Amino acid sequence: MDALMAFLTVFITPKLLLLSALGTFAGVYVGAIPGLSVTMAVSILISFTFSWDVYPAIALMIGIYMGGVYGGSRTAILLNIPGAPSAIATALDGYPMAKRGEAGEAIGVTTVMSFFGGLVGIAVLALAAPFISDFALKFQPRDYMLLAVLGILLVGSLSSGSLAKGVFAGAFGLVIGAVGLDPLTFTERFTFGFEALTGGISFIAVMIGMFGVSEALLQLHTVSAPVIRQKISRIVPSFSVIKKYLPLSLQTSSIGVIIGALPGTGGDIAALLAYDHAKRVTKNPEREFGDGAMEGLVAPETANNAAVGGAFIPMTTLGIPGDAVTAIMIGALFIHGLNPGPMLMIEKPDMFWFIVGSLVAANCFMLLFGLTGLRLFTKIVEMPKSVLFPLIMLLSVVGAYAVKNAITDVYWMLGFGVFGYFMRLYGYPLGPVILGVILSRLLDDNWRRAIISEREDLGRFFEGVVSSPLSLTLFVAVVLIFLSQIPFRATFRRLTRRRSNVKEG
Amino acid sequence: MKRFMLSAAAALALVSTGAVAEEYPTKEIKGVIQWGAGGSTDTVMRSVTPHAEKALGGTIVMQNMTGGVGAIALNFVARGKADGYTLLMGAENPLLYKIMGLGKKDYTDFVPIVLLARGTPVLVARADAPYDDYAGMMAYIKKNPGALRMGATGPGGLPSVVTAMMTTVEGKLDVIAVPFDGDGPALTALQGGAIDVMPAVLGAAIEGIRAGKMKALAVFDVKPQPYLPKTPVITSFNKKYESFLPWGPFFGVFAPKGTPADVVAKLSAAYAEGIKHPDFVKLMEGRGFTIMGTSGKEAQEFLTKWQQNTAWLLHDAGLAKKSPEEFGIARPAK
Amino acid sequence: MSIENEQHSGSSDATPGGYENKRRPGEIVFTLVLLAASIGLLWNAYGISGFEKLSAPGTVPMAATGVMVLSVLIILARTVQLKRVMSERLGKHILPWVVVIFVLMLGGIASLLEPLGFVPTAALFLIAGVKILARRGWGFTFAVSLGSLLLIWLIFRVVFTVLMPEGVFPEAEIVQFFRDLTKSGGK
Repeated sequence: MDALMAFLTVFITPKLLLLSALGTFAGVYVGAIPGLSVTMAVSILISFTFSWDVYPAIALMIGIYMGGVYGGSRTAILLNIPGAPSAIATALDGYPMAKRGEAGEAIGVTTVMSFFGGLVGIAVLALAAPFISDFALKFQPRDYMLLAVLGILLVGSLSSGSLAKGVFAGAFGLVIGAVGLDPLTFTERFTFGFEALTGGISFIAVMIGMFGVSEALLQLHTVSAPVIRQKISRIVPSFSVIKKYLPLSLQTSSIGVIIGALPGTGGDIAALLAYDHAKRVTKNPEREFGDGAMEGLVAPETANNAAVGGAFIPMTTLGIPGDAVTAIMIGALFIHGLNPGPMLMIEKPDMFWFIVGSLVAANCFMLLFGLTGLRLFTKIVEMPKSVLFPLIMLLSVVGAYAVKNAITDVYWMLGFGVFGYFMRLYGYPLGPVILGVILSRLLDDNWRRAIISEREDLGRFFEGVVSSPLSLTLFVAVVLIFLSQIPFRATFRRLTRRRSNVKEG
Repeated sequence: MKRFMLSAAAALALVSTGAVAEEYPTKEIKGVIQWGAGGSTDTVMRSVTPHAEKALGGTIVMQNMTGGVGAIALNFVARGKADGYTLLMGAENPLLYKIMGLGKKDYTDFVPIVLLARGTPVLVARADAPYDDYAGMMAYIKKNPGALRMGATGPGGLPSVVTAMMTTVEGKLDVIAVPFDGDGPALTALQGGAIDVMPAVLGAAIEGIRAGKMKALAVFDVKPQPYLPKTPVITSFNKKYESFLPWGPFFGVFAPKGTPADVVAKLSAAYAEGIKHPDFVKLMEGRGFTIMGTSGKEAQEFLTKWQQNTAWLLHDAGLAKKSPEEFGIARPAK
Repeated sequence: MSIENEQHSGSSDATPGGYENKRRPGEIVFTLVLLAASIGLLWNAYGISGFEKLSAPGTVPMAATGVMVLSVLIILARTVQLKRVMSERLGKHILPWVVVIFVLMLGGIASLLEPLGFVPTAALFLIAGVKILARRGWGFTFAVSLGSLLLIWLIFRVVFTVLMPEGVFPEAEIVQFFRDLTKSGGK
């Protein structure tokens, strides 16, 4: 009964409900602007809500979090510039839709599916948090490493052109992620003796450069072309559309919850894994993936919003952050005199149920704000390109700087912007670069931890993999996916094509 | 409108003449936090600074600047103007940059404004470990050489200093050191069974210990902790630890060397007021930190002594890259 | 399938630009640059820790840069065999003058941001950028660029307290001035 009351607190207290709405609204916009991150907004809120009670502070933060994860999809669809890392996969099929003038439909589906994914995440949090967090804790360094390898193998599904170019881009991303002081031994890697490089390259800066600046540069080719008018008459998708994607979205939501609950992985990885999953299970998409497939929108958006609920699982049950935002919220709870940890759920169950309630409220507001106020957003894309592109470039500069307050990140962002421009022109996919950067630390750190734990013995390492059911499952998945990536068909096609070329010549 | 223009002109005039100490602060103060959002340094700074702001009557805008184990933030502030408008909010580890080969600057290039609080190290083990105290763990290591996995957080971190103490006192330990990027992830791994033992600051482990998710083997201090009254102190197992204790990480606010003394005094006074606030006291106590509130000459001495003790301890245990002697860090008097 | 359909602008990431079986102007040079960079990075990765042990900080970087070198070699071998697209010119389809100008302007931002400060640099960039692209009157240019700069500045500097490099622009004083103004107004 107390649990129900705590759950309902946010709905029956007008002030809390208002803050939740305000937070979600702000979150959607924070998420949509590349460089303004939810992590940043929430950490600023800590000093801002310092003197408040704990409930209003949490309601506001959760609103921003939920709205922000969703908001990243807006700019991904409309401008091909993901507002947040978790929306990278959304751009792959969302932007092709916007180019056809179907941005309204894309955003509508995205919103409803984000809402659905969010609900799944919250439901799992409310019903199975202790169980899931025990499961998440079981992940050993070698399991994280296998998970990272699994992620790296997505290169194939993110690069539709030449696989060699995709592999190059992915490996390049891994190298970018390794720049700086190695976090385990403080050895300098790829710093070339520059102090500024010891801080590494922020992957948000890479993302903004590769997606934002390079897109803007490319669009300069066609600056005088007429702007595409977006149809926004039909935003709310019909029930039959939702029903059609229900099975897929349940699968991708589960991916989101699990990845979100794992400490150290979040919505960005979840969305990419979900995109890959959708690509594998969808037999006959109405449109090809990468060309505006609805499944390619549904999968990452359900997964990244489900990951929000997932991230709260280890936080509420164990005091262990599921991602960067929940890490800051733990700090906020400390400041408000609570001690987040395994005892929180036992000593203060009200707090847990209040968090669940706030998540539900924020999720509902997200649906509301997502389906309304679209006109303003589409106006942004319909702005004359001559004003839009200088603005995007400037926003990219500010955004890259804002991540770590480092001017070096601005240089990197600009450098990667120009480099990404050439990569696009010559048919190199950019998705794998970001994938590599995201997974670099996960792969490197955990590989080293795993092999150190086995005293540098590969034999003992494989023994460990085979003897643990979890590791074995992941290992088998890695092998299967690797085999499925070997481009038998493409090789065959190339052989036949060469033969026909010979005939022509 | 006319009044507005006049005041704007006055504001601009102020810029050209530069701020006078009595009027300090005339503009926003920038506080650079050495570590990322959500970390313990970040939490401490963001919780004490709003109280200090009130006492100061100014605004301190905090920003996180991570990278290079905090060296990037430290060098950034050290390079800036010594006018009291750029402050460094950091932890203890810069004092080890020189001997670890991580940088050429440390707190000797700064004036301490306040040392806020210090933590106590505690040795924790996973809940199902086959030993319940420090002596049991040592016996286990002797019986199973090379089997115990101990968490670490990189050179110069708290676990490396605790390991140095243990090596000095007990001789070389045959354990596997598994590195993590911070005590949070390491303690998570401890609960998952990826490592067996972890030296951590009490504040990070206290909730896990209370819930029985991990167990405390020993407190690295000379007297028992009020939060863990049942856990024996390390000196009760081996008296030789006494020469290194008490030791612990700490948090402090610093200004670049050359900052006017009256500005430093004003800031020190503001923070001295800030740490008295009951909210902050409660937060620190809840996390097992001891409030210090040290400033001026006393703080300077504390820093010097801390650096001497720790640098030589690491050097003698063979964990330092360079000798403290190279940087004129004197060997502590025995 | 006609060649027109095979070519893609490259503006959507999943289907990058370029032709599947033709090479664009400059593509060989680009591939060679990538090859040189990859070899340089591999050498640098080797320098981190050599073949010390499996858990050394240089192991994964060496593997990654090794993959880079191998894949670039494959790409290069394929690219040199392809026929050039005869309808494209380097100066028109790869590096038209607007792009060159904007890349130079971005370089200008990078070098001016710290000494001059964010606000003046951004103002210069926006004014020049809008003027070049829109080719409208100065009134329009100034109104649009300064207006949007003010908006960006308000969001980032005031709401999100992102402290951009100040340079010569007295930002902190202006913010303090308005803070005092609102405070005295509040009394």
